[in-house]
Amino acid sequence: MVALKAAVAEINEKQFIKIELEDSAVLIPMSDDKADDVKSAFNKLIVRIKKGEFQVKLEGPGDDLFSQVASEYIKQLNREIKEVHAEMQQHGLTA
Amino acid sequence: MKIDIHTHTRKCKSGDAQTREITAKQFCEAVLATDVGVIAITNHNVFDLVQFQQIQAGMGSVQVWPGVELDIVENGSRGHLLVIVSPAVVAKFSETVKSITDGQSPNTFTISIEEVLSGFDAMKPLYVAHYKQKQPSLPDAALAKLLAGTKNSNFVLKEVTNAISAGIYISHGHSSIYGSDIHDWAKYGECATELPDLRLSVDGFEHFCLLLNKDPATINTVLDRKTPEHLTLRPFGDGSVIEVRAYNDINVVFGPKGTGKSCILKAIARHYSENGIDASVYEPASDRLDEIYDIAGAQLNVNLNDHKVNYCQNEISALRKASEVDVTSLSKYKAYYQSDITNKNAKKLLLKDIEPDEDGGPKRDFGGYNEALKNTQHFLEFLTDNTSVKEVLSNEEHEQIYTLIVVLATRLSDRRWSSFSEWKEIQLLNSAIKLFRKEVERKTGKPAMPMTTGFRAYAKNRIAIERSASAIVRSVETVIPPLRDPIGSLGPEKGELELLTEIRFQDGNVTDSSLRPIVGAKKTTMKKFVNNIREIRAHVYSDDLFQCISNLNEIEDVESVKTVYELLLFKRCFALGGEQYAPSSGEASMVMLQKELGTDKDVYILDEPERSLGNEYINDVIVPLLKERARENKRVFISTHDANIAVRTLPYSSIYRCHGKSGYSTYVGNPFTNNLVNPKDATDKMDWKKVSMRTLEGGEEAFGERGNIYGSA
Repeated sequence: MVALKAAVAEINEKQFIKIELEDSAVLIPMSDDKADDVKSAFNKLIVRIKKGEFQVKLEGPGDDLFSQVASEYIKQLNREIKEVHAEMQQHGLTA
Repeated sequence: MKIDIHTHTRKCKSGDAQTREITAKQFCEAVLATDVGVIAITNHNVFDLVQFQQIQAGMGSVQVWPGVELDIVENGSRGHLLVIVSPAVVAKFSETVKSITDGQSPNTFTISIEEVLSGFDAMKPLYVAHYKQKQPSLPDAALAKLLAGTKNSNFVLKEVTNAISAGIYISHGHSSIYGSDIHDWAKYGECATELPDLRLSVDGFEHFCLLLNKDPATINTVLDRKTPEHLTLRPFGDGSVIEVRAYNDINVVFGPKGTGKSCILKAIARHYSENGIDASVYEPASDRLDEIYDIAGAQLNVNLNDHKVNYCQNEISALRKASEVDVTSLSKYKAYYQSDITNKNAKKLLLKDIEPDEDGGPKRDFGGYNEALKNTQHFLEFLTDNTSVKEVLSNEEHEQIYTLIVVLATRLSDRRWSSFSEWKEIQLLNSAIKLFRKEVERKTGKPAMPMTTGFRAYAKNRIAIERSASAIVRSVETVIPPLRDPIGSLGPEKGELELLTEIRFQDGNVTDSSLRPIVGAKKTTMKKFVNNIREIRAHVYSDDLFQCISNLNEIEDVESVKTVYELLLFKRCFALGGEQYAPSSGEASMVMLQKELGTDKDVYILDEPERSLGNEYINDVIVPLLKERARENKRVFISTHDANIAVRTLPYSSIYRCHGKSGYSTYVGNPFTNNLVNPKDATDKMDWKKVSMRTLEGGEEAFGERGNIYGSA
């Protein structure tokens, strides 16, 4: 199973979950409610799932609030990535 | 059925080809592979009784007549004469040939007419003399001597070389016929197709001779083997009656223009319609060809299931209604971790802290097992009920298969249940977690942990959109092979005219303006629709997907596209060899007549079908079709001015209309008796052949070329 690294990243004083794909990075904003940015990140994750199943591994989480959020969020996300991959496989949409 | 009055089984003369030699078994095989129903064996100056009997035993329903081809010498001139007799006198015939030729070589044997008459005439033979171009021909003086000396001058026929010669001699009053005179038995199959047809059925040699006598009673007996029908017609509105004897064969109405032939046909159609038989008069209408074949495609209907194309009704509807799925705000996670639950009872409710599970896996498993089980159960029912299966399997084999399938069904049922149970367990657990979290949130005022990031629902929505768009694109990219409906032959040179219907989907790239929508959708709408679907598919995982879906819904008249059927375009035209072709008015007449004759009916009524048609086409295509319908015992009535139809088809019944000093008259008859008789006055007779030759267009030529049909020879 491919494991993609993720980390809590601070960019311009805003907190993000940063997931490293092979050729780019996905940023999920945590500081602000930006649904469109989250959807945009999801689109990239779906495209990545088409290439093959993976799990996101949060590196070096701390005890701070954003680390706790990121940790829980990624735990749920991994479960859902697995389910979406299975669904795609069933319909022949994966590589 | 064809007749061959001249065959050889032996190489008797030094000049004969070795390929004339054939065994009885080979002879039977060669003849039985053809349409020949009557055959005479006529070796040179020899009759082999043993071989004849062997052949007769192996020929089934094919009549084999004994004969001999004699070398006649009269006044120093030499010619050939076939002497053919009834199989009933074969023993006597054999003895006679043996005694006449005794001790002489067939290669050098000769005989005079006088000796022939003395030896054979008492057996009432059929004499067939080589005539004119058929060499060595019997000299005219010898033929005259034969005709003068025989007791049965009607049984003297002249053998010519082919159908055209026979027709010409017949039209000049010479009773003529021709046979294969086979030189190479390997070519008999090919050669037999050119042999004369027997238009009337012949029971045997004696019956054939009676028909040669043109005995009306004999002929009527043969004609009546078909089903004669007496029609009383009142065609002219003045109450006058025409009595017609019609057959379930070819019946021709002929006569000069303006004598009421069309009225007679209409009265015949009325007669059958009143008796509940579908009958109408076919009249050539070449200008209506486009309408008849629906070139405009008004009735065109394509079943896409036949081409394994999904109509995509659900997919199109789903795409047009598609909307974005919201994702879970991350602030909810922050809020959860920022809050501190102090309520003691809430802390005890550990269920709320359990991680929810995904139910997609067991749900998919359940779907798979359920489908497999249903199909297995259907197969079990099929196995139990199908008689063909029971026929090919022994009871033991059937039991084995049945037992195995029952085992499979049981296992599938178990798996179905366990997956269903697992699916519902997860659903129950998730519901409980959700409920508990909600209740704790409500009671404590503290936010609950979100159950999902929203990724699953978001992704599944996009996947569904991709699947719908892909299904539509797949459908419109299907290549539907052109439909080719044969219309009819335009003759051997041009070939078959087809109705070519090209059907294709507007796949976004079609620009051919000659292609028209099958249903009412606008062409621009169709094109924009497909291009938008492609756009949606390309942007399905992009941020602007729902802009593409908005664009789709904004297309003018988009609601007219409910399925991919509305995206079908077609072009229909006549074609020759796959290329578009505009048939001339004559060609239109040709194919319309073929269509009429190609339609399965009991009664065909054709009014001057020859209009706009060439002789060659009538001879090569129409006449054979008419004969075929006659062989199928269909009633065919034809009003015609064309001798090719009236003569070549040798109608069982002819109705001749004419106008003289005493007004209009009707005569009925047939070419076999060669009579046309006024039903009101049996003494008022006309010669069928003469009237036909005088009245019909191309009469003389038709008689001249008709010889390959034995009829009024």
